[in-house]
This record gives sequence, structure tokens and C-alpha cells, in this order.
Amino acid sequence: MTRLALPFALSLLLGSALTQAQAETLVLYTSQPNSDAQQTVDAFQAIHPEIEVEWVRDGTPRLMTRLLSELQAGVAKPDLLLIADSVTMESLKQEGLLQPYLSDAREHYSPDLYDAEGYYYGTKLITTGIVHHNRAEHAPTSWQELASPEYAGQVTMPSPLYSGAALIHLAALTEVPELGWDYYEALAANRTEAQGGNGGVFNDVASGAKPYGIVVDYLPIRESAKGSPVTFVFPEEGVSAVTEPVAILEGANNPEAARKFVDFLLSRQGQQLVSQQGYLPALEGVEPPEGFPARDEITLMPLDVARTLENAEAQQRRFSELFGG
Amino acid sequence: MRSFSIEVGQQRWLFSLLLGLVVLLSLTPSLRLLLEALRDVDQGVDSPVWRVLTSASTWRALWHSLYTSALGMLIALLLGGVFAFVITLTDVRGKSWLVFCFMLPMMIPPQITALSWLQLFGPASPLLNSLGIAPALGSPQPLYSAQGIGVLLGIQSAPLVFLALRTSLLSLPRELVEAARISGAVPIQVWWQMILPICRSGLIAGGAMAFISSLGNFGIPAMLGIPAGYYVLPTLIYQRMASFGTGVLAEMAALSLLIGLLALAGVALQQHLLGRSRFGLVGHSGRPHGFVLGRWRGGVEALLMAVLAVILVAPLAALAVSSLVPAMGVPLTLESASLGAFHEMLGRQGVTRRAMRNSLWLAGGAALVLMALCLPLAYHLQRLPRRWQGMVLSTIEVPYALPGVVLAIACILLFVRPLPLVHVTLYGTLGLIFIAYLARFLVVCLKPVAASLAQLDPSLEEAAQLAGAGPWRRLANIVLPLMAPALFAGAMLVFLLAVNELTVSALLWSAGNETLGVLIFNLDESGESVLASALAVLVVALVAGLMLALNLLASRLPRGVIPWKD
Repeated sequence: MTRLALPFALSLLLGSALTQAQAETLVLYTSQPNSDAQQTVDAFQAIHPEIEVEWVRDGTPRLMTRLLSELQAGVAKPDLLLIADSVTMESLKQEGLLQPYLSDAREHYSPDLYDAEGYYYGTKLITTGIVHHNRAEHAPTSWQELASPEYAGQVTMPSPLYSGAALIHLAALTEVPELGWDYYEALAANRTEAQGGNGGVFNDVASGAKPYGIVVDYLPIRESAKGSPVTFVFPEEGVSAVTEPVAILEGANNPEAARKFVDFLLSRQGQQLVSQQGYLPALEGVEPPEGFPARDEITLMPLDVARTLENAEAQQRRFSELFGG
Repeated sequence: MRSFSIEVGQQRWLFSLLLGLVVLLSLTPSLRLLLEALRDVDQGVDSPVWRVLTSASTWRALWHSLYTSALGMLIALLLGGVFAFVITLTDVRGKSWLVFCFMLPMMIPPQITALSWLQLFGPASPLLNSLGIAPALGSPQPLYSAQGIGVLLGIQSAPLVFLALRTSLLSLPRELVEAARISGAVPIQVWWQMILPICRSGLIAGGAMAFISSLGNFGIPAMLGIPAGYYVLPTLIYQRMASFGTGVLAEMAALSLLIGLLALAGVALQQHLLGRSRFGLVGHSGRPHGFVLGRWRGGVEALLMAVLAVILVAPLAALAVSSLVPAMGVPLTLESASLGAFHEMLGRQGVTRRAMRNSLWLAGGAALVLMALCLPLAYHLQRLPRRWQGMVLSTIEVPYALPGVVLAIACILLFVRPLPLVHVTLYGTLGLIFIAYLARFLVVCLKPVAASLAQLDPSLEEAAQLAGAGPWRRLANIVLPLMAPALFAGAMLVFLLAVNELTVSALLWSAGNETLGVLIFNLDESGESVLASALAVLVVALVAGLMLALNLLASRLPRGVIPWKD
């Protein structure tokens, strides 16, 4: 009997010991890559050493799945979200899960980058364009080109079922009259591969598994500077963009510290860090990183947030029918 | 007479307690799932079950699952069988190193295995490029196929077959074979008429474990199948969950019922086959027979080394190469090599140390607790009527057969509310992952113990009972020493599977409770393959280090306790 009781008691004890919450920390849920998230947190803690930041990284859709189930269980941990796109933020705002904060830094930003009531703030611009391997036969310059026969079976792209940026990209492209759903049908007919997130797409192109990919800008621009054999192209029809917004949750345990974090991200120093990490900063006047064209040379496709939010699930289902999964 | 009734009473009470624990561990999550899956079943066409059963993608994924798992099982049986027979029964040299290396592939997380094989065969493969035989840019990757998935699943689960088979081969008494040889039997007759029948239970147990673990494997079909649009049941469930969130929980529960039924069918078949191959053996275990290979020895050794080079050395080399380059796609040269990724993971990312600590605690705790549970459980299971045995075993098999993603969801459904009496919410803690691991890996620990117990000569215990030894004393003094190798092999398996586990923890982790598997998967997914590879190299080094530490202890442990030591 004692032999059995001991491990059982031990496991209960272990369980209860591990449920002790840690005091006075700021919990951040983010979809930034790990090394960038750690850099951002380190820079914030250098200014506010009294605040301990614990962060979690996952793809935006899965982060949302996690957050909603935690909310249902009443054990939601995060104070802050720093995720890919404003459409997801908009839906959280409508469900009443966010709290407003009017940061003084907002007057330096263009009004389309943040929510007028202060529910969320864009922190950078991440555009989606085309990447090709340096040994690839062609150098595509337009979206249309990827649907032509010489690219059959040679293109890979992220799936909007996995990636927030890819969903926005789908929404933006299907709004363009010359492209629309016909374009996606042409891609599917051209055996274009739709897999998980942007990271996987980039790795496929960098390792040569596919010569061409549709991908977010910072991965190829940053990695090619380190020697990765790839080139990034801003297609002539324009690019879609997500703003990686930050927001404070309604149920934040530590709203005071969370506001400091938002202020830090929007400060000039925070924006310079964004540029150092290889992203286009959201703040005008901060030097963009090496390898990016000047801000005014980039054509952005328009995006209707409300419409995108309304159609998101229908778009995902339609995409899933076209590309499987 | 009175003492006899006390003994029976004690046993019955103990067994009820054990059975209660097993049911709690194994059945509750499944029942909770069943409830979820059969919700609104009376609504006919609109019910989740109906929607799942009428969807073509369900049946496609089911067929894919069966096909890849069966292929994986065959390859695992072939690889594990060859290694187990040659190493246990012949006089090849360097046995402990051969076994050591053969066990390693199981510890490499499946998604990393897949990644490193992709590195090996892709158009940018450093190996093929340096040999000048790399395929053209963008040419199809041979691994993105059902066969590619099957081969890797086979390599991943071959050590399971090896261990199960070796356990039953070690129980083969030398006297039997010697008697046959003296009577003039040629080696082929000894193999065919004595060794094969005796290790049939090991073969069946190993094959079943390989099949079921392949069925629930997520890392390999996710890395090789999703890009090709080739879905098996676990990846289909994961994909749907990731896209549509908890709204499709009921449908996913219905899908996982399918896998559960599939696994149960496998277990039932296994029980049926095992029931027909029972032997009572007299003699000592742990004294394997040595066939003398003579002039064939060098060739056999070279063959084993060649197999190991393909399944272990090449992928590990690719992994090491990926961890040393500054960015993906950069060829490795003396100038480009950098330790930046290791510095980042060990020096700057606080999450690495946390994940290491979490994984070691979880895996070590689960192995110890299950070791304590399995011996009495297997012992009493053997004394049950055959029909009940099958039922209990099938119950235990379920959490392991379900894909981890599904077990995780069942656990979320169960533990989302505070526990009664103690008012602790387990959701969002390491405790939840621990409980899920106990449920999931119970069968892994129990299988070798049960297989080895089935071979135990009952007359030994009967003699002790006649001499007046009680059940506990018999268990401690007779059964435990004989079972030690199997028990330890089971605990080792649990530890090795748990330390790199991904699919359960993928949904159960939360801030501060990351496991190593989750960390590697997340790194890889966010495009940081170089960091992921660096961490994977560290993990492989850590586990290999643990195994070496066990080697140093070998002289103080009973013989046969460490699977790769004779």
C-alpha cells in the first residue's frame, strides 16, 4: 500500500507545488520569433528593471485558441498581446476582451496605424512579397507572374489557416479587381504549395526545396544579410501589410506595468529597436533597416478591416477547399 | 486456511485500488471525449459525428494513417528484429555500443528527425552538394510522400521493437538451445522451431507498440505530409484545431474516436495472438545463447554499422551542420561556421533553461511513478480471467493510441474546472502535463513488464507460496528481481519518450511551462531552424550523456537492468 500511496501523493504534491503562481510579473503573448521577442523584453527590462517579463511565443491563430480556452477556464495569464494583425485585435475588441489605453505617444503616428479609442497600437509594418533563391531560373516581379506555367509546382506560400499575415494577404489580394479569387484558383491549378507559417516557407526557399515563395519581408531581408542565398522582391501590384499591434487585456493582472510596455514599444527607442531587428518601423522618421526601400516607395494594397473580419472564416474555408487541409 | 483468505482479501483490495487508478488515468479522458463527440447525436445530419463520418477528408486521412503506420511497423519489425537477434544471440563485437547507437534515433524528436532527413535529401543538401549529386533546385523532395513518412516512422519506432524482442530473447534459457544442439539440430532448425516461437510474444508486443506509436505520431507526418497535402488523422485534427479553434472540438473528438477504435482493434488482435503463444520456461533469464558466426562475423558487423550510418550518423551530421551555419541555406565552410546559435540558446534565451528543467522533471517523475505502478499492476493483471485482462489492457492502451493532440484536449475538458475537495485548478500548470504523461505512457512501461511476466515460470512462485511467503514477499523477493530488466527498460522508454514529447504538451503548455519539444517546434515554426537545430543537438547530447551515466552505474545494478548492457 505505502509503495503506491507514496508516488500518488508525490504526484499530487508536485501538481500543487507547480500551481503556485509567480508574483509581480508581466506576461506577454507574442507571435514574434523567439530571438526578437527576447531582445524586445531585454530592452524593456533595461529601462524598467523592477518589472519581470515572462513571454510566450506561438502563431497568432493558435495563440488565440490558447487565450480563449484559458479565458473559459478562468486562468488567463497574459497582460499583453503583441500579435501579427489588427483584424484579430479588432475581433478581440468587439468581444470586450481588451482595455483601452490612450498613450501619449500616439500623436506621432499615422491614425490608420492605431485604434482611435486606444484599444490597440501598430508597432511596425510587415509586408508580404515574393522571395526567390539566388540560383532560381527567373526573378519574378509581379504577383500575376507566379500563376504562369513556368512556375508550376515551384512556388510555396504560408497558409491563412496558420498565419495571421497570410490571412491579411489573402484578404488584400482578393479585394484587388485584377487578382481576386481567380488568382488564387490559378495558383492552386499551378500546384502552388500552401503550408504552415512564414518560417517554413522561408526555410523551403533558403534550403532550395522550392525556388520561389510568398513570404513576409523581414525573414529574407535579414537572413540574406547574414549570407542566406535568397532575394526579396516588392511586386509591382503592391504588397499587403500587417502592423503587429500591441494591446492590453481587459483582465490584465498588472495593467500599470502593461501600459509602460506599450509606451516603450511606441517610443523612439522602441522603434529604433524594431529597425535594428530588421523590421520596417511604424514611426515616421526612424531610419528603416538596410535592404528596405524608402517607405514612400512601397505600394501598400488597401485593406478594409471590418470586411476582412466579417469574411475571415468564409475566406479560410474557401482557401481550405482549394488547397486541402 | 485463514491466512489464505486474508491473502485473497488483501489482494482483492489492492487490486481494486490499482484498477481504480488505471481507470482514472485511462478511461476518464476518453469518456469525456466520448461525451463531447456524441453531443447532439440525436440531431442526425447536423451532429458532429455525422459531419465527420460523411466527410471525404476523414476517410482519406484514415486510410493514410493505416497505410503509413503499417509501413512504419513493417520497417520497425525488420530493423528492430535484425538488431535484436544479431546482438542478443550472436558473438558480434562491440554489442553495447551498437545497442547504444541503435537506441538513439528514438530520442531525437520526430520533427527534428524529419527536418534533418529533409536537409539530407533536399536540393540544398550539404552532403549531396559536396558529392556533386544534388538534385536540381526545386526538384521534388522524395520524402514528401507516404513512403517517406512510413520509412521515418519505422526508424523512429524500431527501438521499441528491439527492446520488446530483446526482453523476450533474454528469457530464452541457454539450456534449451544447448539441448537441441546436442540432439543434432542445425542452427536453422533451432531458429525456426525454438527461438521464433519463444520470441513471438516479443515480436507481437513490439509490432503492436510500433504500429500504435506510429498511428499517434505527429511530428513526422506534420513535417513531411502537410507540405504535400498528405494528411493523416493526427495532422488533420491539429490543422483543424489550429484553424478553427475550440469551435470544432466536438468534431475533433469524433475524429479521435476513430483512431481510438483503430487502436483498440490493434490491441484486440494483439491479445488474441499473444494468448496463443504462452510458454512456461524453466531456467535463468539474462543468459542469452551465443551463436558463433565464425567467418561471417566481419560482414555482419559491417552491415549493422552501415544501417546505423544511414539511420543515425547521416541525419545527426545534417543536424549538426544546420546548427553551425549563420543562416539557412548557407553552405558550411571553415569561414561560415559559427557558434552563434548555441550562444543565443544558452546565453540569452531564459526559456531554454526553463524548458530543460520542466522536461526533465516531467519525464523523470513520470518514469518513477509508472515504474512503481507497473509491477503490481502487471502481476495482478496476469491473475485475472483472460477476458478481463484484454479489457483492462485495451483501456490502458487508449491514451497512448489517441493522438497527443486529442488526449490534450480531453485533459483540458477534464481539468478546466477546479478539482473537487482540494480546489486547485490544474489547467495551465505543469501538473496537468504530468497527469497527461502518466496516462499516456502507462502502457509503454507496462508492455515489457507484462510480456516478461508472461514468460515467468509460475512454479517458482508456487514453491515460495507453499513455503509460506505472502504475496508482497513473493513480489519483492522472486518476481521483482526477475522482472528488474523489463521494469527498468519500461521506465527508460517512458523517460526517453517523455523528455522529447511534443503533441500533448503542444496544447497543454502555458507561460512558464514550456517543454523542450514545444520549444524546438516553436523555434522551427517561427523560421528559426538554425536555433531549433542547435537546441536539438543539445538535447541529443543531454540524453546521450544520461545514457553514458547509466553505463557507468552498470556495474552496481543487477545484470540485464540496462537494456544495452549484457
